[in-house]
Amino acid sequence: MSSEMNAAMRNTTGRSPEGVVLSKDGELASAAADGASSRVGMNGGEPMTLEQVRRELNGAKGKRYWRSLDELADTPEFQAAVEQEFPSAAQEWIDPVSRRGFLRLMGASMALAGLAGCTKQPDEPIYPYVKAPEDLILGKPMYFATAHPFTTGAVPLLVKSDEFRPIKIDGNPEHAYNRGGSDPFSQGSLLDLYDPDRSQHVTYKGENREWEEFAESFRDKVVSTKDGTGIYFLSATIISPTLARQWQAVQKAWPKARLVQYDPAIAGTFLEKGLSVQYDLSKSDVIVSLDADFLSSASYPGFHKLVRDYAARRKEPEKGMNRLYTIESATTTTGMKAEHRLGLRASEVPAFAAALAEAVGVTGVNPPTYAWTADQQRFLAALAKDLKANAGKCAVLPGLYQPPVVAELALAINNALGNVGKTVFVSSEPAIPLPSDQLGDFKWLVADLNAGKVDWLVILNTNPIYNAPADLNFAGAFNKANIVAHLGSHYDETGQLSHWHIPAAHYLESWSDARAYDGTVSIVQPMIDPLYGGRSAHHVFQALLDDPLVGPYDAVRETWKSTIKGDFEFGWRKALHDGWIADTVPGVQAAASSAKTGAAAFRGEIPAPTPKDSVEIIFRPDPNVYDGRWANVGWLQELPKPITNLSWDNAAIVSGDTLTKWNLEEDDIVEISVGNGRVKAPVIVAPGHPDNAVTVYLGYGRQVGRVGGGAGFNAYLIRSTWAPLYATGAVRKMDGKWGVAITKSHYQDHRAKFLEGKGAGDNSLEADEALGPRGIIRYTTLDEFKANPNFAHEGDAHETPSRDTSLFPNWSYNEANAWAMSIDMNSCTGCNACIVSCYAENNIAVVGKQQVRVGRNMQWLRIDTYFEGDLAAPRAHFQPMACQHCENAPCEQVCPVGATVHSPEGLNVMVYNRCVGTRYCSNNCPYKVRRFNFLLFSDYETESLKLMRNPDVTVRSRGVMEKCSYCIQRISAAKIAADKENRNIRDGEIVTACQQACPAGAITFGNKNDKNSRVSKLREQPRSYQVIADINTRPRTTYVAEVLNPNQELEETPVEIAPAKG
Amino acid sequence: MAQIFDRSSNALARMGLVLTGLIVIALGVTLDQLQRSPWVTRQGQRAEQPVPFSHRHHVQGLGLQCQYCHTTVEKSSYAGIPPTRTCMNCHAQIWTNAALLEPVRQSWATGESIPWVKVHDLPDFVYFSHEIHVNKGIGCASCHGRVDKMPLMYAQNTLQMEWCLDCHRDPAKNLRPTSEIYNMAWESPTEDHPVWCAASDGKAGMPTAQSVNCTTRRPGPAGSAMASLELPASGANDLLSNVGAVVPVAAPAFQKFTSQQDLGKFLVVHYKIRAPKDLASCEVCHR
Repeated sequence: MSSEMNAAMRNTTGRSPEGVVLSKDGELASAAADGASSRVGMNGGEPMTLEQVRRELNGAKGKRYWRSLDELADTPEFQAAVEQEFPSAAQEWIDPVSRRGFLRLMGASMALAGLAGCTKQPDEPIYPYVKAPEDLILGKPMYFATAHPFTTGAVPLLVKSDEFRPIKIDGNPEHAYNRGGSDPFSQGSLLDLYDPDRSQHVTYKGENREWEEFAESFRDKVVSTKDGTGIYFLSATIISPTLARQWQAVQKAWPKARLVQYDPAIAGTFLEKGLSVQYDLSKSDVIVSLDADFLSSASYPGFHKLVRDYAARRKEPEKGMNRLYTIESATTTTGMKAEHRLGLRASEVPAFAAALAEAVGVTGVNPPTYAWTADQQRFLAALAKDLKANAGKCAVLPGLYQPPVVAELALAINNALGNVGKTVFVSSEPAIPLPSDQLGDFKWLVADLNAGKVDWLVILNTNPIYNAPADLNFAGAFNKANIVAHLGSHYDETGQLSHWHIPAAHYLESWSDARAYDGTVSIVQPMIDPLYGGRSAHHVFQALLDDPLVGPYDAVRETWKSTIKGDFEFGWRKALHDGWIADTVPGVQAAASSAKTGAAAFRGEIPAPTPKDSVEIIFRPDPNVYDGRWANVGWLQELPKPITNLSWDNAAIVSGDTLTKWNLEEDDIVEISVGNGRVKAPVIVAPGHPDNAVTVYLGYGRQVGRVGGGAGFNAYLIRSTWAPLYATGAVRKMDGKWGVAITKSHYQDHRAKFLEGKGAGDNSLEADEALGPRGIIRYTTLDEFKANPNFAHEGDAHETPSRDTSLFPNWSYNEANAWAMSIDMNSCTGCNACIVSCYAENNIAVVGKQQVRVGRNMQWLRIDTYFEGDLAAPRAHFQPMACQHCENAPCEQVCPVGATVHSPEGLNVMVYNRCVGTRYCSNNCPYKVRRFNFLLFSDYETESLKLMRNPDVTVRSRGVMEKCSYCIQRISAAKIAADKENRNIRDGEIVTACQQACPAGAITFGNKNDKNSRVSKLREQPRSYQVIADINTRPRTTYVAEVLNPNQELEETPVEIAPAKG
Repeated sequence: MAQIFDRSSNALARMGLVLTGLIVIALGVTLDQLQRSPWVTRQGQRAEQPVPFSHRHHVQGLGLQCQYCHTTVEKSSYAGIPPTRTCMNCHAQIWTNAALLEPVRQSWATGESIPWVKVHDLPDFVYFSHEIHVNKGIGCASCHGRVDKMPLMYAQNTLQMEWCLDCHRDPAKNLRPTSEIYNMAWESPTEDHPVWCAASDGKAGMPTAQSVNCTTRRPGPAGSAMASLELPASGANDLLSNVGAVVPVAAPAFQKFTSQQDLGKFLVVHYKIRAPKDLASCEVCHR
């Protein structure tokens, strides 16, 4: 495609007749001609035919970007919808209000507003300490190291604590594993701590009891059994070495007691077996993902380090960069970031991996015979060739949600290529302390329950009534246990049916320990006393041991007594301070012995792909709520999922072709059946999704919780032990529409026709500007970049007009500080960690699904996803978009009350107490980054949420506009610190919340007037460009243009089409 | 048909118009005055406190330094309200049976806080920082008034935005040497009571408090060390010449200030006080 890109780059106007077209289109368009009668549409809008989509794409010249199918189709209805800043569906009144009623309401509120201006503040009490804690300085946050114990490996954290209340979670910047990076789950776990729906009492059959009563009766029971017969534990995957040690002690004391670990998100994967393979992508020139979604969320083990290393090799293309091949089923950001992506159905991936293994010289592989298409064969050949050419400098990553044989194949491939020991390391310690066959164990647990062998079933931090495999009828077997005790953070589906329910302590409330994916041990230290007296699994196991009163603190210390060298107390305090115990990274196995396949032939059984016309259901944990554990975290519910931008729901995700073939429209309700299980789901399209396959995310359809209860559908109902990763099923259309909330088209408007002045406005802003002269997205290939480093600035309207063009006075901004941000489009993988971080830092409100549907979500930062090219095989560009802090800000000129003004340092600031809510500023904002509190979205009532707020940021009320402030509270704090010491603010002293969270290091913030600052250097790069700068906004946020490193062999030959006549 | 309106109606109508105008103006003035009045601002009002704590007694009478209780005033945005323990440091020994101190003993015994009423209460959308003010030469008394003369605490100033901006637009008029921050009796320099200051800038990163040396007594030429010496006024000249001969190092030159405006300008430069346009920018206080 490179020459085509060259053509496109030269032809940056994009609309000139001698453009080019993507060659794949012809083939696919003809293939789809039979489905022309089917329609694709989004909620509310008139549907459009998929044929139209194809025609649009076929006619596209040069680069063509689109954000949603509706946009692509450019229906008049869609244009009408986006023309409105505030959609028509956005009714202010839920009930019709008569004019008289309206006047009465208005009168009352005006009177109140008038009075409110004159009333005085109420008396405020001060409650000082009785004895102040020793090192607390009120108003100065403290930072403590801890770790988020997550199923795929602990995330080392540094928690900001205000008056001993944790108020912000971030990665531990000194930890070698994540270097300060975090992920949406870790960020969101803060709200989980303060979730008002957490259970608050120990209960026995619904009556309040005390923990001691439970511990006593449990221990008495176990003692009476003599050997533990009939005592069963069902636990989430044990990741704490101390908990594993305690279990082993329990097992020793009560040899007949049984433990089953079950985590639906890793059951049946290579991780449950403890396989721990580390990849060093910083040394990998070629990266191959075999359905491994390692760039989009912490669901993939080692995510933080993988993303960081991947991005590090893309920040300076002039020094060489890596190349990513992704073979994937469900569309993920890993696929969209790849130079070359091959969309396969999930069941085809093992066969493809086997074919790849054979092609790179792994012996003993018998790839199942399969009719690969010519494209797929070409991909395979080019990939194998590239891998062999980069032997020892490449890495092949297996998908977690592929059968474990894919992991073995990937290891065999890495071994054959000589990567093991160079870029791939097999850890000598298992990734989890107690590897097990989770589904197998679960089956015998159910068998024992049905056989009446289970006297006490103790469920630890898992919710099997909700997420047990559907074929086992766990709920039926559950009742056959004599007593069921449930330790859980919420009084959830399982808790409600259990005899005993014990509130679990959050990880920020209790002592524990965990290993990061690289094996480093971190102590999980509590930040706050348990809010509701919660207990942890450590307490439960300890209750059965000789010294039942030993708390988790002592238990954890006991575990590491021998590991911590030197003086224990000193070493312990150092471990707590640093956030990890030194020298706990396990060694790696030697290359020769590491791979099971070593020199010997590969012996794994490779499953054959299912027939091409069968319908495949792919199960994945949700990118936001994971396996359902975060379902009640509003931040994560409202977060638009990567690729689909769906919030508050899960859906049946299919390809455009499949939608057409099944005669469906987006948002239609379908019934998915696998075996005997049936669920109803809305259907939506993900570009690039394989045909005849449906991806469903787990974790929705919860019954309890005021946030997550009732959202989405429960995909566990169709997930069985015999097919936990993907299954063959059937899809049937049902009546009605679901009403999904997709945020994609909220931020578009229709100025294209005014600005371009041509045509009837048949291009939306995105299509027109992303591809057109304005170049919202600019990228090129590595070769082209080397030839022409200034590519990002070549084009008609790419440059900012001269300063004199403005009507308004020019400020020189020659202060000591001029704040600016640079975002590296090459590094951003669209993982959303920044958005959740922004939620926590800036007290952003959650608005709920109905409000999201009318475009009122309050995220200050969004990640615009621009798809490019073919509907079936697109590429996506992720562009984080927040307030650009324009030096010449359009919003400021139109505010009638001076509520948005410019600071001398170039910040576009909001003065909330001045804002009267005219929304003119938002109408005039070209970037659509302002958010308005249409209703009272902030929760002023719930006590637990008050503890969570950032005290340095105002909680906004109804009728107030808000937007990204570049974390002004952090800037102010740094200024005060610097001013006290009579010095300038150092580069890197101010870190914005989004920057801090980004695992890829894509965001840089600093002082552009300091020529040596990192942000200045990034801004001076030729690749640096501003978005829509041609309207003379002079934004302070700049983007570093993407450079791709494609394999020449896989580039399509561009098809020149004759210039249009006339 | 008889005329409905009498001839006098014209005069009445004119008067009515004038009166309406006057009423509107009066209303405006009243509201304006009202929102600046102590009824709204609580300026000068003594709130009912659980313990009638006297700053006069403790500061003027006993000589307690401000930071004995308000410990974090230099380190944090909050000055800090003392914990009960601070009261009990002394009141475990003295006035142990005083009825007035019953709430303090109660608090100490039960572990419940003493519920004070906030006297200086800013709106919640204002982010004020004590730390930067006291580190940059704004004395306690500049905002809080002569606390050492207040038997019961009250707000000396309105704490309204116009009052804040008054200083943020011209900080020079309130700046004083950082050594005098806690001096309640500090007065601006005059001809009769001049102030001498010497700047020792140069090293970047030197905290504000060390960058300027000030004294209210005529300093010796050797700088800060000499400035604190008690110099007999008559022999000063001899001594000065002697010391000058002995110490070859060029001591920072002391400058004499006889007006607040001059001292303020000097301190603005050497304390590196930001320019009024920075200090009066919205985001300094509102975010």
